[in-house]
Amino acid sequence: MDAVEYFEVECPEKAGGEYYQRIADVVLLDHNLIRVIRKLHIFIDPRIPLFIATGVTRKLPGIVHIRDFADVSVQEQKVILSIGDEAYLAPLLKILWEKYGKERVEQPDRFTIVIRIEGAELKEIEDVPVYDPTESLYKDLIYALQVIQPEGFKVRRQYYGKEKFYLVASENTLPENIEEIVREKFALMGESL
Amino acid sequence: VNLVPVTYKGGVYRHDEIMDLIEDLGGYIIQKHVLAQEVVLQALVPKEDIDLIATIAKPLTGEIIPSPLVGTEIAVVTMSLEIHHLPHASCDVAEYIRRNGAKTNMVGLARGFGKRIAQLNDEERDVINEHDLAVFLLGDFETCIQQKFPVLRRGITVPIVICGGPDKETLQRIIDPPVEGYVGGIGRFMHRTKESEELEKLDEVVTEITRVLDGQREEIAKDPPSVSPARLMDVINEQVDEIHEVLSPTPITVQMTGLRVKLPYDTYARILKNLAIEGGVTVGEIADIVPSRMRDYILIRIKPFSETNIMV
Repeated sequence: MDAVEYFEVECPEKAGGEYYQRIADVVLLDHNLIRVIRKLHIFIDPRIPLFIATGVTRKLPGIVHIRDFADVSVQEQKVILSIGDEAYLAPLLKILWEKYGKERVEQPDRFTIVIRIEGAELKEIEDVPVYDPTESLYKDLIYALQVIQPEGFKVRRQYYGKEKFYLVASENTLPENIEEIVREKFALMGESL
Repeated sequence: VNLVPVTYKGGVYRHDEIMDLIEDLGGYIIQKHVLAQEVVLQALVPKEDIDLIATIAKPLTGEIIPSPLVGTEIAVVTMSLEIHHLPHASCDVAEYIRRNGAKTNMVGLARGFGKRIAQLNDEERDVINEHDLAVFLLGDFETCIQQKFPVLRRGITVPIVICGGPDKETLQRIIDPPVEGYVGGIGRFMHRTKESEELEKLDEVVTEITRVLDGQREEIAKDPPSVSPARLMDVINEQVDEIHEVLSPTPITVQMTGLRVKLPYDTYARILKNLAIEGGVTVGEIADIVPSRMRDYILIRIKPFSETNIMV
């Protein structure tokens, strides 16, 4: 966990806290998430019981547009896309089908897509957003936190976005002032939600 | 004869001679693994003949190691079969005990997780009670262990060894009434046990189990079963041909005072009951044959000498 700026496990039971420090370390390492996290504060109180994980991520890669992985050439009757990176092909096709209809989108080979439309603007096509990597990353992050938390804590609330995330879990109904508690935990890291 | 549990490790070459020797000396082979060029035999052999076997095995580069868990069936009870507990620590512990000769079964509880919501259902309870000993793998927090363990142990009659994150003294303090064995510092973790201190912890689990089982053995020796379970296994192996068609690693699992026979109860219970052991004594006379709650297996519980007045 050296790469992480701030990493604390807060727990009234000393031994338990140390075990969870190791568990969090191993799980995040196994899920390849260490380099994504900048700060992480975990609070566990088995007496209530309550588990809170709050954290801040590093700057994440932005949204992938068509121009990032394909060359667009606009002609009179059609638009030809030459794909450079196949990784985004599936979401791209889905978007194109929805926008122009399957009958207009052709794929003569793996790396070429032909859209039969008239008078398209180059910029308009190039700027179509295809894939948001942060979405899946935050989902992975929340999944990893669920693996870290004690298993019986089935009542959960989670949040992610704007480089911050948190997961709250308990066996019982969450306390009413839970957002307040979460804010306090962010404050411990010198951040605000 | 005083039979002691041992493991023999050696090459495939001429290992049948060792098997014949053990049987000729009046010992029993409980399980045989052949792994490529290597053979591992788990056996009960007469104590005074161990040196003889070692001498004969020496030219074959075989070695004989005492392994006190041979001939026991142990339940490793894990709180759930989710990623939180598998494969570490549950499999690590189960596998380590297995290497020391025990037959282990992992019992994953349906609702064992949580502090307030932990439960044990009747099927789980009965399955655990079919074993010689139950190892409970609990979590890292003493608050949780203190609250949930009384629920999990309800109705369990076999000796219990507890493994948990808090140290041994804490476990002893919070568990009331006491159980037979405690191992601290081995709770929930998510990495593979391969460092020497972690392996020492696993050794500690084995030592604790051995200590508890040795106590059990002493108790049993005061009123021994009417027939040795290993001998009864031999009788079944000889007289019931269908047992050789069972594909389980141990078609007959030897326990300290009984056997688990992996044949369907409805068809074979009667056949087993009428098997003759020696001098007209049948299995039905000296043992209870009951359906196991594990699949449709048969459980044979051998009655003690004081009940039957027969010793074969």
